[in-house]
Amino acid sequence: MTSESTLFSNRWLPILLVAPFMLLIVLFFYVPIFQAFYWSFFLEQPFGGGSIFVGLDNFARVLSDREFWQAGWRTIVFMVTASSLAVLIPLILAVAADRKIRLSLPARNVLVWPKGVAGASIGVVFAFVFNPFVGILAPLNKAFPGIWAPGIDGTDAFITLIAAHVWGGIPFNFVILLAGLQSIPRTMHQAAAMDGAGPWRRIFDVQLPLIMPQLFLTLVLEFTESVTSAFALIDTITHGGPGGATTLLVYKIYKDGFSGYDLSGASTQTAILMVFVILLTAAQFLFLGRRINYER
Amino acid sequence: MNAIDTAIRAAAASITVKGLTKAYDPQTVVIPPMDVELKAGEFTVVLGPSGCGKSTLLQMIAGLERVSGGKILIGAREVQDLEPKHRGCAMVFQNYALYPHMSVFENMAYSLKVAGMAKAERAERVTAVAKMLGLADYLHRKPGQLSGGQRQRVAIGRAIVREPGVLLFDEPLSNLDAQLRHDMRVELADLHRRIGATTVFVTHDQVEAMTLADRILILNKGRIEQFDTPKAIYHHPASVFVAKFIGAPPMNILAVTGDGSTLRLADGQVVANAPLTGAYQIGIRPEDIVVDGKADGHAVKAALRFREDLGSHSVLAADLGGSIVRIATPFGMDIADRLELDLNFPTSRLHLFDAATGRAMPGALGAH
Repeated sequence: MTSESTLFSNRWLPILLVAPFMLLIVLFFYVPIFQAFYWSFFLEQPFGGGSIFVGLDNFARVLSDREFWQAGWRTIVFMVTASSLAVLIPLILAVAADRKIRLSLPARNVLVWPKGVAGASIGVVFAFVFNPFVGILAPLNKAFPGIWAPGIDGTDAFITLIAAHVWGGIPFNFVILLAGLQSIPRTMHQAAAMDGAGPWRRIFDVQLPLIMPQLFLTLVLEFTESVTSAFALIDTITHGGPGGATTLLVYKIYKDGFSGYDLSGASTQTAILMVFVILLTAAQFLFLGRRINYER
Repeated sequence: MNAIDTAIRAAAASITVKGLTKAYDPQTVVIPPMDVELKAGEFTVVLGPSGCGKSTLLQMIAGLERVSGGKILIGAREVQDLEPKHRGCAMVFQNYALYPHMSVFENMAYSLKVAGMAKAERAERVTAVAKMLGLADYLHRKPGQLSGGQRQRVAIGRAIVREPGVLLFDEPLSNLDAQLRHDMRVELADLHRRIGATTVFVTHDQVEAMTLADRILILNKGRIEQFDTPKAIYHHPASVFVAKFIGAPPMNILAVTGDGSTLRLADGQVVANAPLTGAYQIGIRPEDIVVDGKADGHAVKAALRFREDLGSHSVLAADLGGSIVRIATPFGMDIADRLELDLNFPTSRLHLFDAATGRAMPGALGAH
């Protein structure tokens, strides 16, 4: 048996090794989050210089604001549609690819690279791709003038955002799901084939149940990420418009805080958003995670 | 005998292989043209070292691997171009390949469900097979909660629940420990006696082959070395390859030279009288060598190297003209401190092989 003491003879060494990482999370995650929760109970002055404790006043103000609820609703719609598509499309691609391809290491690397592209860059590209005059849908506008107008039509703008988000999510999810599919032993397919199941039937009876851990992972990551990472896309493509149609909660927080200088309101909404994401993830683990069979 | 037994016995079909070949490309031929017929209800063990093409042969019968040429007939039906599900074969895999997300019941019922059988009938069949295999109490469990032997039984149950004409086994016992392997071997033999399915069993373990098979098909580099009963294969190996593959310890093979009247070993000692000239190989089973006794062969001297006492008998290893000869003797023979042994190879127990081709030359010594 390997006890911890044989691995680390010095009890401070493990702590020392973890310290740089801990420092980063504490400095850039826990401290700001704690700050946000703290400020949500105070009325902050926009240009510094003292604050007043106001108890739950900030929450009362935010929760009675119609725009907050609208932004919240848009966030949920975006989260559900964008993350479902960002898992479903790679899933279809992965199942198709698994049929023939044994992915080489370089190929997998090339596929993951887009994951490293900053959201803002994706946004700039898609602002161009979906531009009504020079983008890929421009011919459609020539045939039916005004049918594609993300600058005016809120739905079109929303679709653009979703498309950009899904595009950014495909590579990573594809690689994870494909890895899951490829780890299914070949004899499992053969056994199902001997049992009379055709390729389609095998997808639903064998492949999908066996990649549940990977599906669950991608879904949880997508749900949480879609809430936050939409910011870069909104800021570069739509700026929350037209008419606030693409103002999700993250973007509203940014605008309230840094354009409207309502620091307390922004902090309060951050706190609410944070709690929402935590509850959402907890719910996923509670209701989905338990049913997953990790055994192979 | 219950309904399942009868149904499987009735469904048992012969397998006829005609000019079957498998090649991945012209340079890598796994199986050169092969002709063989396995009788209905027969238990055939396909035996050979790894890479001899035995699994490929099995997969081609199952329909999991394409044939490169030739025909496979199950019963009177040509099946080489049919999907696996239309061939009437069932298979037990080496790693069992049970569906980890399904219960034992669901695993066994899956093929029936796919075939569209009514739920009540499905339950009836699975229950009958589970009872036969002693799995009745485990039907609700997942494979992960079962022991190796139980998983093995579920895999067998999943195969026979469809009442297949042909039952295929791909090294099914190699993942089990020694004791369990022995128990499962006995169970398999018993199961075959009861259900009488045409069975093809692939293994590299000669003990499994000897104990289970009606007939053993020995493959070497895709070619059939010998296809016969275990007894015939043990006593009349068709080649040096077979002689060395069967038996533990295997048959001793020694190079000899014939001078027209006697066969001499490399060191010049005469081992047998035979009217042969030129180079040959002789084979003798470890248990056929006589130590310190009178027999109808010539006496030769060998240097004892070591002995292994196995309880039921002892195995001696002796140096005879530069090659090691293994001798099985009764346990406790008083030879502990001796360096030189007087051996006698009874001529009636000698096997003669062609030095170049390795094929047996029955009758050339006057024996057999």
